[in-house]
Amino acid sequence: MWVGLLLIIVLIVLSIYGAFIGAERAEQFFNRPPLVVYWTALAMLLIIGIAAFRRLLRVPGLLLIHAGCVLILIGGMWGSRAGHGLQKRLFGIDKIRSGRMAIYEGSSDNHVTLNGTREQKKLPFSLKLKDFRIEYYQPVYLRIQTRQGRQWKVPVEVGKEFPLSEEAGTIKIVKEYENLKIGMEEGKSVFFDDPSPGSNPALEVQITEPGGQTSTQYVFELFPGHSHGQDKFLLRYHRVISDYISELQIIEGGKVVAEKDIEVNHPLRFGGYHFYQSSYDDKAGQYTVLQVVSDTGLYVVYAGYWMLCLGVIWHMWLRHIFSRFKT
Amino acid sequence: MEIKYTIQGLLIYMTIAAYLLAFVTTVLRRPKAGHALYLLGFAIAVCAFGYRWYHVRHVPLQNLFEVFLCLGMIYPVSLFCRRVLRVGGYSADMLIGVIVLSPAGFIFNAEPQQLPPALQSWLFTPHVAVYMLSYIFMAKATFQAICQLAGKNPKPGEKLLPPEEATYRIICVGFPLLTLGLILGSYWGKLAWSDYWGWDPKELWSLASWLVFLGYFHFRYMFGKKHPRINSLWAIAGTATIIITLLWVNLSRIFSGLHSYAT
Repeated sequence: MWVGLLLIIVLIVLSIYGAFIGAERAEQFFNRPPLVVYWTALAMLLIIGIAAFRRLLRVPGLLLIHAGCVLILIGGMWGSRAGHGLQKRLFGIDKIRSGRMAIYEGSSDNHVTLNGTREQKKLPFSLKLKDFRIEYYQPVYLRIQTRQGRQWKVPVEVGKEFPLSEEAGTIKIVKEYENLKIGMEEGKSVFFDDPSPGSNPALEVQITEPGGQTSTQYVFELFPGHSHGQDKFLLRYHRVISDYISELQIIEGGKVVAEKDIEVNHPLRFGGYHFYQSSYDDKAGQYTVLQVVSDTGLYVVYAGYWMLCLGVIWHMWLRHIFSRFKT
Repeated sequence: MEIKYTIQGLLIYMTIAAYLLAFVTTVLRRPKAGHALYLLGFAIAVCAFGYRWYHVRHVPLQNLFEVFLCLGMIYPVSLFCRRVLRVGGYSADMLIGVIVLSPAGFIFNAEPQQLPPALQSWLFTPHVAVYMLSYIFMAKATFQAICQLAGKNPKPGEKLLPPEEATYRIICVGFPLLTLGLILGSYWGKLAWSDYWGWDPKELWSLASWLVFLGYFHFRYMFGKKHPRINSLWAIAGTATIIITLLWVNLSRIFSGLHSYAT
């Protein structure tokens, strides 16, 4: 029991130390050989404890809690980098533990760049990106500020005129651009939406003064401080991303065997791997970046979670409630 | 420090005032009036939370302002502890209510935010709500632990548990919630960030707080009530790590990580 308490105190100290060094270094730290020895000792002690202490075997809640912890440790070690290495040496299972793959719209790929290296490995199947898109919260708001600091907020609705005040006049959003470019025609600047790959979201805004004079201002999402000295208002708008979606197909032997739109919180599971929406081409939206993670050991960890939860709830809540009903 | 001249701010200040009045009235031995004021404060706190929910159009548990607003609804926990667990500390709960609502009223930014994609999950509400509930229980346990250290026992006629046992009972209620919060967070991390354990500072601090209470149970199992002061110190240490997990990790630049949106 003393050893158990000591190992708990050591883990408290190590966790606090790990919190100070940052996630990346903490991951390396907790996977170092001395820590592997610690994890193994902890798992062994739990197993010995279950076998040696009769109370742990007799009390179902305590048994579930301790056995759950054993499964979490075993699953975690089995799914770790060292665990994957061990599986390769012992059983010849050469599975990618974690990596990334960038796939262009319309093309398919099976190359995964392993995390932390430039080494590439192949998946036994390919992924095709049908489409990648970003969705935004609606409505988007245009923020208007006078040089004296007065502010308004109007929804971005093309063609609708919004009165601001008697002194400020009205404002109207004339056009919304996805990729605004500026060209020259007959010595004049011409603004147009370029259909070629690229992203420069902007708004064309018409300001009508109380006297009836109109002027035009362009608001660029990517350049929020952009304004000219003669501009009456400081304008800015920012679209808040609500979701990233990659429409994927899994291709095996030339056939589409699975299809899924993956989003944050909705990964794709196939062939012992999980695929996550990780990043994207923020310049032109032409490709998506997926995180590829092996599921080795995962379900053992989940089984441990269930047992731990059930054990704690049974031992600390339910058995007392039931015993109260009995009496 | 900023005063919020909004309906939201007004509701928070009214709750704080009601809780403070309830505390003063209870200390002045007017328990019935104190209870009525406490109940009134809770009703206003529910209105403040509901108003925020309506305003931001999602369960308001996204940032520290919303989380502290939620923690202000402490009354049902007080009632549960009193009626079911036979644990006192009613007037201290009123002060806990004031303490948790003050940062929401005077410090944290109340600007509504839209949920980033990672937070759009069915796990968002249970994960945070379960943690908040466990934190309230653990705060109450700490008050009992402090009473034990200070040698304060309930009056004989009150039919309440002595502080050491009260601490244990409350931790027995809070610990499964803490476990559930940790596991739900881990499962959610797997869905959103591809790993059930990311070694993020917030994750490590929450593991540390869970382990401190685990240490408490092991120590208490080994020695029972032989060393009540050390038992109490374990409980206080657990709540100290919870405070660090909840506040320091989010507010300090030392611990930047995946949970930084929660400030």
